[in-house]
Amino acid sequence: MAAAGGNDALFVAIGAVPGALLRFRVINHFEPMLPRKHWGTFGVNLIACFAIGLLVSLQSSCGLAAGRTLLLLGTGFLGSFSTFSTWIAELHATLDRHQRREAVLLCGGSVLGGLLAVAAGLALGSS
Amino acid sequence: MATSPTGGHAALRREARDLLLVATGAVPGALLRWHLEDLGKGLMGGHAGLIEFDLIANLLGTFLIGVIAAQPAPRPRLMLLGGIGFCGSLTTFSSWMLQISLALRRGRPDEALIVVLISLLGGLVAVSVGLVVGRWFRR
Repeated sequence: MAAAGGNDALFVAIGAVPGALLRFRVINHFEPMLPRKHWGTFGVNLIACFAIGLLVSLQSSCGLAAGRTLLLLGTGFLGSFSTFSTWIAELHATLDRHQRREAVLLCGGSVLGGLLAVAAGLALGSS
Repeated sequence: MATSPTGGHAALRREARDLLLVATGAVPGALLRWHLEDLGKGLMGGHAGLIEFDLIANLLGTFLIGVIAAQPAPRPRLMLLGGIGFCGSLTTFSSWMLQISLALRRGRPDEALIVVLISLLGGLVAVSVGLVVGRWFRR
């Protein structure tokens, strides 16, 4: 592992900005079309899971660039595009409103869906 | 969203301000997460370090979003900068899921399950504590 240098930080930061902006815009864009806002967060997280699986397997199968691509796209862009805090806060809010079925769907759907999405990305990248 | 055609200049400026707030929060959030991951890899090596220090980043961000959400009056700028920007980028769902998938692929379903449970329960506790702490800061 390379030491955390100033240049590397720049790659993470450059990836993080479009990742966070895209998450913000995508969730807001789909909010009026969805029954609950948290399904927007769910969608964003699943897309990020698929993409990170694809990225990791492309990197190991074709040696697609080195650590810096992963810093820019994986740590910076996808790390910022996906979110754990909003997901948990929304899960907490559904539990608070005693919407148990919705909470189970959101929680189970995110974890199982996330695992499937990563697996699909890994499989596509190594095929 | 401020894209109504009638809004004109003001709407465009508000849009630009919103995006700037999110971006300004996102950079330190992502850098802090990356430093934590690096620290974890240094202290504990590879997988374990990544998992544990991603967990720290996720729980810290979840606590902070609770603090922000507890503020009574709508604080749109604080939410954009701190919540959506900083906490959203400090925490990550994709790396978390990747680590869990890789643990399963290493034939360690026990490890994967423990990480999922600790993250979920820890996250729910962190956001609850954040909400309580956030109420102390209410103005």
